[in-house]
Amino acid sequence: MLTINNLHARVEDTPILKGLNLQIGPGEVHAIMGPNGSGKSTLASVLAGREDYEVTAGSVDFDGIDLLDLGASERAREGLFLAFQYPVEIPGVSNLNFMKAAVNAKREHQGLEPIAAKDFLAMVKEKAALVELDGRLRDRSVNEGFSGGEKKRNEIFQMAMLEPKLAILDETDSGLDIDALRIVSEGVNAMRDAGRSFLVITHYQRLLDHIVPDFVHVLSEGQIVKSGPKELALELEAKGYDWIKEPVA
Amino acid sequence: MAATNDIATRQAQNFVAGLAGATPLGLSSLSDEGRAALAELPVPTRRSERWKYSPVTAMLASPVSSAPAPKSWPESVPANPVPGLDAYRVVLVNGHVVPEACDLPVADGVMCMPLSQAVKEGRIAPGDEDWTGYHKREWVGAVNAAHAQDGLFLSLESGTSLDRPVLVHHHVTGADVASCPRHRVCLGDNARAEVVLWSSASNQASGMVNAVLEARVGAGARLGLDKVQHEHGSIFHLAHEHVTQGKASTFRIHTLTVQGHWVRNELSVLQHGSGAHTVMHGAYLPKGSEHVDNHTTMDHTVPYCTSSELYKGILYDRSTGVFNGKVFVRQDAQQTNAYQQNANIVADAGASINAKPELEIYADDVKCSHGCTVGQFDDEALFYLKSRGIGDRAARALMVQAFIGDVLEGMGSSEVADEVASLLAERHGWM
Repeated sequence: MLTINNLHARVEDTPILKGLNLQIGPGEVHAIMGPNGSGKSTLASVLAGREDYEVTAGSVDFDGIDLLDLGASERAREGLFLAFQYPVEIPGVSNLNFMKAAVNAKREHQGLEPIAAKDFLAMVKEKAALVELDGRLRDRSVNEGFSGGEKKRNEIFQMAMLEPKLAILDETDSGLDIDALRIVSEGVNAMRDAGRSFLVITHYQRLLDHIVPDFVHVLSEGQIVKSGPKELALELEAKGYDWIKEPVA
Repeated sequence: MAATNDIATRQAQNFVAGLAGATPLGLSSLSDEGRAALAELPVPTRRSERWKYSPVTAMLASPVSSAPAPKSWPESVPANPVPGLDAYRVVLVNGHVVPEACDLPVADGVMCMPLSQAVKEGRIAPGDEDWTGYHKREWVGAVNAAHAQDGLFLSLESGTSLDRPVLVHHHVTGADVASCPRHRVCLGDNARAEVVLWSSASNQASGMVNAVLEARVGAGARLGLDKVQHEHGSIFHLAHEHVTQGKASTFRIHTLTVQGHWVRNELSVLQHGSGAHTVMHGAYLPKGSEHVDNHTTMDHTVPYCTSSELYKGILYDRSTGVFNGKVFVRQDAQQTNAYQQNANIVADAGASINAKPELEIYADDVKCSHGCTVGQFDDEALFYLKSRGIGDRAARALMVQAFIGDVLEGMGSSEVADEVASLLAERHGWM
C-alpha cells in the first residue's frame, strides 16, 4: 500500500526527516510514536502534500503511484486521507457543501457522475452516526465554533465519507476526553478492513488501547529507530523514549 | 474656481458640451442650477482628497454624447435580468425610459411612473426639484442635475406598501454614450417598498453613466435597495444615492459590483429621526484592470439610531479598489450604535485596494466600532480543502463564496442574490 524509502525532508533550512523507511501493507494498522520534535507531524504533512515542506531525497510509492509527484488534492483523490492534528475552521463554508465538493471531486476522478442529492444525504446520515456527529454540527460552517472533540469527530466523519485507502491520523487523540477518545476510536475501528490501511501518529499509549495496531514504530531525529509488535507501545509507555535513542547494535 | 487654462477644466468643458443635446427632463430650476454649478465647481482630479484614487480624468479624455430615445427595448437583452424575480419594472436604455417594456403597479396610495411623466403631470413642485443640493457641491452631481434624462418616480402614501419589488433596469448600448438617469423615491410614514436597481451594458458599449437616486424614508417606513452593477463594455459609472431617514425608519442597501470597467459608488445616508436603522452592505470583485470605488457617508444626527456597514472586496489581476467609509456621530446623536467593517482579499500581486474608515464622533455616549482588513487567501484553509481532494480552483471558489456569503445573504430578494452568485461563478470560473 505504502512504501517510503530513504525519505529526507526539510522546512526552510532545517532538515527534519533524515532517511525514513517504512512499509505499510493493505489492511495493516501502523502506529508511529516518538518524542516531540522527532518528525512525526512532518511525516504526516509531507505525505499529505503540504507545500511548506521540501522533500530533498527519497521516494514514496502509494499503491503503485509516485506520491511525491502529486499535488495535495490529487493525493486525496487517489485515496490518501490526513486527519489533522489541528483541524481548520473555515467560516462561511458549510460542512455539507464541503463534503459534497470533496465526494464529487473524488467521483469525477473515478469517472463517476456527481452523487445524487438523496444518496449524498443518506451517506451523510450513515457516516455521521459512526462518530455521533449530530445534525447541528453537520450543517454548520466547517469546524467553526466546534469543541476540540467535535473537531476530531468531524475529521473521522470526513474520513468515513471519503473512504480512503490509507488514512493518516495525526495526533487525533490530542485534546480528547475519555468519551470523545472512545467515539473517535470506534469510528476508526468500524472502518478497518482488509483493503484499508492506517498510520496512527500519537504520543501516548492510551489511543492504542482503543485502536490496536499491528506494528509500532519509534521515530527519533527523523528516522525510524525501532519497530515491533503492539507490545512495544506498552514498553515505551513504561520506560520512555531515552533507552531507544541509544544507538542500536 | 479653477483656472480656465487648466487641462482638466478644458477637457471637462468639451466633455459637458457633448451632453447638451439631451431632451430636457423639465426640472428647469435644477438643470439651471446644474449648468451654473458646472461653470464653477472644480473637476474631480487627483488633487482632491475625495477623488484622489478615482480621478475622472480618463473619462474626460473620450467625448460622449446623449443618445436619442430608442424605439423599443433591445430584443437581445432581457428586460428582467433576474430569473424568477416577480417584480414591477421601469426600464431604461441610455437614460431613456422605454414605456412599452415597463410594468407599473396600480394601487391606492401608490404612484409609480417615469420621472418625466411625474414632471409633466406637475407632481414635483418647483422648489422641490432636489432634496440634497449635491449638484451644488460636486461637479459629477452638477452633470446629472444639468442633464438628467429620466428614471423612476416612486411615491407611497403613509401606510401603503408594494406587494412586489420595483425593478429599475438601466441598459447601455452604443459607443461614447452619456446616460444620466435620475430616480426619486418617497415613502410616507410606515410605507414599505423594495427596489432593485440593475445596470447592464452591451459588449461594445462605452461612455458614462451618471446616476442619481434621492430617497426620503418617512417615520416607521422601510426602504430596501438591491443594487447590482453588471456592465460589459467600458463604461465610466458614477452612481450617487442620497437617503434621508425619519423616525424609527429602516433603510437597507446592498451594492454588488459584479462587473464594471470603472465604477464610483457614492452613498450618503442622513438619519434625522431618532430610532432609525440603516444597513449598508456591499461587495466588489473586480478583475482585469477594472476599478471599483465605494464612498459612503453615514450621518447620525439624532439619538438612539443604529447603523451597520459591511463591505467586502476581492481584487484580482491588476484591478484597483477604493473603500472610504465616513461615519459622523453628531453632538446630539447620543446612544448611537454604529458598526463598520471593510474586509479585502487581494488575490493577485498586481491588484490593490485603498481603504479608509473615517469616524467623526462628537457625542460622548455612543458605541462605534470599525474594522478594516486587507489580506490574502488563508493558506491553511486552502490546504485543508485540498487535502480532501478539492482542486485549487474549486477550493478558492468555496472560500470566496464563503467570504462574500454574508453580504449576499442579507439582500432583499433571494432571486437577485442567487443571480449575482451565478453571474460571479460564471465570470470567475467557479462552476
